[in-house]
Amino acid sequence: MQAILEQAGVVDESAIRVLVVDDNRTNRMVLTALLKRHDYEILSAENGQQAVELFERERPVLVLMDVMMPVMDGYEATRQIKKLAGEVFVPVIFVTALTDEGALVKCIEAGGDDFLSKPYNRTVLKAKIDALMRLREAYTVQLSQRRQLAYHQKHAEDEQRVAERLFAGIVHTGALDDSNIRYSISPMAIFNGDLLLAANTPSGALHIMLGDFTGHGLAASIGALPASEIFYGMTAKGFGIGDIVTELNKKLKNVLPTGLFLATALLELNFATGSVTVWNGGLPDPIMYNPQTGIVTRFRSRHVPIGIMDSQMFDRSVELFEMHETDRIFMYTDGVTEALNPAGEMFGQDRLESFFEQAGGHDSQVDQVTEALEVFREGGKQGDDITLIQIFCRPADAPSQSPGAAQRAAKPPAQWNFSFEFGPHALRNSDPLPMMVNTLMETQGIYDHRERLYTVLAELFSNSLDHGLLSLDSALKKTPEGFMQYYAERQQKLEKLEEGRIRVMFHHRPHGKGGRLEIEILDSGPGYAVGQARPELAANTGHSGRGIPLVRSLCKELIYNPKGNAARALYEWD
Amino acid sequence: MTVSITSDQPGKLTIAVDGRFDFADHQAFREAYARDARGSRKYEVDMRNAQFMDSSALGMLLQLRDHAGGQRDGVTITHCNEDIGEILRISNFHKLFEMP
Repeated sequence: MQAILEQAGVVDESAIRVLVVDDNRTNRMVLTALLKRHDYEILSAENGQQAVELFERERPVLVLMDVMMPVMDGYEATRQIKKLAGEVFVPVIFVTALTDEGALVKCIEAGGDDFLSKPYNRTVLKAKIDALMRLREAYTVQLSQRRQLAYHQKHAEDEQRVAERLFAGIVHTGALDDSNIRYSISPMAIFNGDLLLAANTPSGALHIMLGDFTGHGLAASIGALPASEIFYGMTAKGFGIGDIVTELNKKLKNVLPTGLFLATALLELNFATGSVTVWNGGLPDPIMYNPQTGIVTRFRSRHVPIGIMDSQMFDRSVELFEMHETDRIFMYTDGVTEALNPAGEMFGQDRLESFFEQAGGHDSQVDQVTEALEVFREGGKQGDDITLIQIFCRPADAPSQSPGAAQRAAKPPAQWNFSFEFGPHALRNSDPLPMMVNTLMETQGIYDHRERLYTVLAELFSNSLDHGLLSLDSALKKTPEGFMQYYAERQQKLEKLEEGRIRVMFHHRPHGKGGRLEIEILDSGPGYAVGQARPELAANTGHSGRGIPLVRSLCKELIYNPKGNAARALYEWD
Repeated sequence: MTVSITSDQPGKLTIAVDGRFDFADHQAFREAYARDARGSRKYEVDMRNAQFMDSSALGMLLQLRDHAGGQRDGVTITHCNEDIGEILRISNFHKLFEMP
């Protein structure tokens, strides 16, 4: 602090030094005698030129200035002294015989802070000096605070910039620069609360994640580190987006305080099967469109954002959509639709969607929307982080490799069987699904089918466990209240489960260019009603029961035995 | 935004939010319920005079839910306009809050 003040030239331990400037010797002596009585140290000059030289050398804190002088007059001397003083406030009081208004105005215009007409009253002169010294003192404190603030601000910004560079190395761009992607990221501050990640999977599919942390700036971007590590690490190892969101939620629920969360959508574009898999929790609905025909569909947000739900309540279920090479997908954060113009109007969903109803010849809707946003804001300030991404639903010309990814292709179709059996203890204490899916992947290497097979197995397994062994009623899940009750009951019954088992058998045979996988699942329960076509199941709506129709759509065949405790599903790949 | 208490019953406190529901007045929103012991009563957030909410407001609702005991029936959100309803829909907050 002291160092900063000295550097600023605002600390003077010695007596207050006043510069008296007058070409008349008597006037100088009178003023000097008067001021010495008040313990000021006096410097004196005979003209403006001398005054400027003395000021430069001695740095007095206050100047009493005559107007009319030879060599250089008081106006010019004041201008030069004020310039030399720079940011430091050096009061200049004109002491003059001139009384016409024009001359006095000129004193102020030249930079003078006050004036006193000759002959002057001693008391008034002293009072004016005191007033200006008080002002100077206040100004000095303010100046040093301002400098301190500027120093700290610069320091903080430098630190943030260093951190941001470290950050960028971890939250790297992955596959964002591949030829099938256009994107734009505009953070409000140095740190971004939006998170955009892309990576190619070992089997050649493309994973995209767009997320928006609550708030913006440093606090909002803290979660970006673990999130990107999980995304890139698991993608490189061949995990599907359902696995990735589960892990993300587990980690972020732990790390983030209540009220901070990540609204995000993850997509898996599978070029081999012509499908896109979606998990959306809280991101504005991404738009799938075709430049010729307009909007094809929107990937509705079906889930609560990441970092809110406890692991056992977390819903990892994904949706599957058909995808054609000419389709495109547009994702954005709410900074787009919530952008305001000077009239306080929002950009809004309708305005945004108009760009996709007639995409026409435009190649980049990212550029189109960015320009439209700028025009709309009319030069107004950006109020939130804004991220846009457009994906062409075709493979990249030269897909980038995820760091650490081993090329994993499907293995030549082989003939194999294996089976698992789970008793009460295993059912209570572990989730057998990832283990079974991992075994399938290790055995046959069909990573393209990971997400689909997971979905099939998850539905079959939860039917066997929830309805077969635990006799839960899925009608409960139709309302949000019932949904919670369902899970509470499930937990209770599972804890009390003493006997019963579920057996899963896999038989794989080569078939055509690929293979045919038969999944048999059998539970020891009394059997339950399946396959009775319930309207809400067919419509794929409601909180429950997307199950069986979904499995049917993914499998070649699905048959339940009449008793309702065994199912056989046939899944083909090529 | 302004935050006011429109009804203060032993079993239920009604907090009304006016204008833009965002981080600007998070202190006032917190103070509206902070004196209650955790989980001691239920809450209603009345949105009839709220025009808009952002994601930090969603975070503030989650904090209130926590304070109410973390159950879905702890906090009821009422009288949402279309814009606010859409924001709550995207976040699937009907799974976390009562929304008649």
